[in-house]
Amino acid sequence: MAGPVTPDKVESMRFNDTVVGLAFIALAATMIAMTFSFPSFPGQAYGPSLFPRILGGGIIFCALVLILRERRAAVAAPWLVLADWAREPRKVLSFVLTLAAMLFYVLASDRLGFIPSAFLVQIVLLLWFGVRPLTALVVAVGMTLLVHWFFGSMMLVPLPRGILDSVL
Amino acid sequence: MSKTIDRRGVLKGAVAAGAAGIIAAPAIAQPKWPARPITMICPWGAGGGTDATARIVAALLEKSLGQPVNVVNRTGGSGVVGHSAIATAAPDGYTIGMLTVEISMMHHMGLTQLTPSDYTALALMNEDPPGVQVSASSPYKDIKALAEAIKAAPHGKLKASGTGQGGIWHLALVGWLLAMGLKPDHVAWAPSNGAAPAMQDLAAGGIDIVTCSVPEARAMLDAGKARSLAIMAKERNPQFKDVPTLNETLGINYSVGAWRGIGGPKGLPENVQKILAAELKKAYDSQEYKDFMNARGFGMTFADQAGYAAFMADGDKAMGTAMTAAGLAKKAS
Amino acid sequence: MQAIATAFGLVFDLQVIGVILASAVFGMFVGAMPGLTATMATALLVPVTFFMPPVPALGAIVTATAMAIFAGDIPAAMLRMPGTPASAAYADESYEMTKKGQLDLCMGVNLVFSVLGGIFGVAVLILAAPMLAEVAINFSSFEYFWLACLGLTCAVFIGTGDPVKGLLSLFIGLAIGCVGIDPAAGQPRFTFGNVDLLSGINFIPTLIGMFAVSELLRGSVSLDQGSTMVQQQVGKLMTGIGAVWRKYWKNFFRGSILGTVIGALPGAGADIAAWVSYAVSKKLSKEPEKFGTGHLEGIVDSTSANNSALGGAWIPALVFGIPGDSITAIVIGVLYMKGMNPGPSVFLQTPELIYAVFIIFILANIVMFPLGWAAIKSAKQILRVPRNILLPVILIFCMVGSFAMTNSIYGVVLMVVMGVFGWVLEEHGIPIAPLILGLVLGEMLEQNFMTSMIKSDGSFLFFFERPIAGVLGVCTLIVWGLMLWRMLPFGRHGQPVPAGETAPP
Repeated sequence: MAGPVTPDKVESMRFNDTVVGLAFIALAATMIAMTFSFPSFPGQAYGPSLFPRILGGGIIFCALVLILRERRAAVAAPWLVLADWAREPRKVLSFVLTLAAMLFYVLASDRLGFIPSAFLVQIVLLLWFGVRPLTALVVAVGMTLLVHWFFGSMMLVPLPRGILDSVL
Repeated sequence: MSKTIDRRGVLKGAVAAGAAGIIAAPAIAQPKWPARPITMICPWGAGGGTDATARIVAALLEKSLGQPVNVVNRTGGSGVVGHSAIATAAPDGYTIGMLTVEISMMHHMGLTQLTPSDYTALALMNEDPPGVQVSASSPYKDIKALAEAIKAAPHGKLKASGTGQGGIWHLALVGWLLAMGLKPDHVAWAPSNGAAPAMQDLAAGGIDIVTCSVPEARAMLDAGKARSLAIMAKERNPQFKDVPTLNETLGINYSVGAWRGIGGPKGLPENVQKILAAELKKAYDSQEYKDFMNARGFGMTFADQAGYAAFMADGDKAMGTAMTAAGLAKKAS
Repeated sequence: MQAIATAFGLVFDLQVIGVILASAVFGMFVGAMPGLTATMATALLVPVTFFMPPVPALGAIVTATAMAIFAGDIPAAMLRMPGTPASAAYADESYEMTKKGQLDLCMGVNLVFSVLGGIFGVAVLILAAPMLAEVAINFSSFEYFWLACLGLTCAVFIGTGDPVKGLLSLFIGLAIGCVGIDPAAGQPRFTFGNVDLLSGINFIPTLIGMFAVSELLRGSVSLDQGSTMVQQQVGKLMTGIGAVWRKYWKNFFRGSILGTVIGALPGAGADIAAWVSYAVSKKLSKEPEKFGTGHLEGIVDSTSANNSALGGAWIPALVFGIPGDSITAIVIGVLYMKGMNPGPSVFLQTPELIYAVFIIFILANIVMFPLGWAAIKSAKQILRVPRNILLPVILIFCMVGSFAMTNSIYGVVLMVVMGVFGWVLEEHGIPIAPLILGLVLGEMLEQNFMTSMIKSDGSFLFFFERPIAGVLGVCTLIVWGLMLWRMLPFGRHGQPVPAGETAPP
């Protein structure tokens, strides 16, 4: 959805390439460091550590090129560009709420069961995004049951039963 | 409840409904089981032999228990993920699973803490011994010639494959080499992602020997691309009568096999155990099961609860010895 | 000839036709749902086929898979949510077309070229199965290693914009693929003692996270800018298809041939076929700069390729019992159960059954046309739904789809993590397509490299010793050398790309 960056409208949020490069160098270095605890392959000079090390090297190489390139650029990029939406509290909340909804599902679905958690996730998000309550209710109930029927009953996906264990 | 039966269509629904009455009688004193669908966890992916076996057993159980038995694939981690899921499921009888030979191997490699004693053994359903396959263009016409060539070859010159490093077919090779008085890595092991890629590599001339089971090698044998020289079992497989055993050709009485059985988490209720054990025996004896296993060429071996538990314990000990000898066991654990 | 007549009799039976139609509808639904793949559709059909004669049993699988591979294109174009992995390669491109208001043309092309590609793959299967299988079976780990390398090269072409960031994305994907049990020594890597991580980073939840969830996150902050996603004109699906054919018929043949060949290679299926043909299309195109902006050309190639790969995958499966992809792995089991043991002799022993399968293959692709049409028409209604209703509903589908792949909450966790990660990458102009490709090819690359090193006793020269491997190897090294030279800031074409100019998808 993020379009090309234009001066009057910033849709994407980004750190400059130096920060990105450094972050990936740190990740790759951690990865390579971890490979030293891997056991060696019986009877061979190379083992499970070989590929992660090559890949870590590759990531560091790309990251260095990114950093180098930005150092050579005439105009220095600011280290962080905030997207416009990040200045609007309501939109930031929308973003956080979408994430929180997923986290809620991850944490609660096993205990609550699929039907209550999917319903809750949908009804909260629908209402927050300004859908009329009656429509929201109909959509949340309808889609929850539809998904449960298709995935759970037709496709035999073992959706968590949760508190409805004895009813289903 | 009716919803879950509907989806299977008229055919199975009718069978299930009809069979529901039969099971009700023996369970009368206990709380009724099963009252809802049962999950059967399969630690291996759709399409493999374990998945196929799990699905036929599930279909037969479904018919006799009158409740859907859904096969759920929990794959990955060389079988650790699925086996863990079975062991950690609630022991209410609604989650059972297929245990495979890997449960007696993985903990020796340090991949998991789980051992066969973490399960309620229900029934052993199948066992397949390894075979010794060579390419059709290979100069070794019989197992004796191959054995001589292996002994004569320098250390690590010949390459074999069939599964991953430390997998069951690797151990089959190691056991055979040790029985011949050779080092466990006298023939080098080239790990592969299962038997089918190994058979292809054999046909492509990339490796010399594949020690997977004969049914897994079957298509290539039928296509005339490979030859099976021997199987490492006590007796010949009736589906492949022409393939001799190691014992009758080389006098080596070494046998090991990939087995599959049904088990549940530890502490399944008594009545559930009793019903399942009886139904699994019935499934094993059914014509459908025999036809299915014969069609795939899979070996049929049965053991009841006690027999299966003892079988797994023995196998676990044997695997520990073999894997330590091969240098595959993690010493720390 | 007698066998062919018998085969027709076997297929054109009321019950068989009924089974085909039912499985077509089933396949359409499964394919259109994220997380439910053609492979899963096949696995679910297996217990049902226990109770069927061979022809309807195989017919059900053939039909359902063909439909599913096409149907995956529908949510990919409408919601940037590939229904099956095979549609991932051109999900972005299709979605861009939709945003430009060209949904009708995009879907029409997807439908027509899926049908044609499918028929092409079957035609090759019928005419050349034994011959092609003979070639495919000669590939050992050396050849596969080089093929995987060439496949990775595609990553640099499919990424839009900055090649350095494309390469970075590829390395990240390969690194993510290292999590889990390593393919050579069987040792756990980067698992932190977690049982779920032992199974690795599952590909499909990652796909859903990176494509769909990242799009939902972006969508959540732009909800007030218009109620529906795109104002669609009321058009006809087939308008302009003739012109597309005249312009891109070569792309169709190229995509179909590539798709069939990749499908026929054991271990590579419709998803890899789509990636590779998309990359080849961009590389050979006269206007590569248009790729990634909603350009039809690459879609023609890759949508033909993934459907033709289905037929291709049956080639080694029928002739040698070696699965060409994960679908045929299941099919082989069904073949054995129905007494049609794979092998060259299956063509002699039960020719009428084989011909019947071929006829169903063609029939399935023909049925796809009206059914696909209906599916597109009804799916189009989705875009009329206001986005604030659509977003929470899609979120549920994504989570259930990811759950379905691992049958545990682990899939959902992966989806969320990868969704946020993908969002961050895209905000920084790092394309995600190369990452996905790296994840797909990573294990194949490492497995075949390690196996080959063991077989060659550690000598790299062996990688060039076998004739096919040698040719593939030299080609790979030349391509890589050229690319590396161009990418370096000091290289010949080293004008650095300013960060702002890279177009995040």
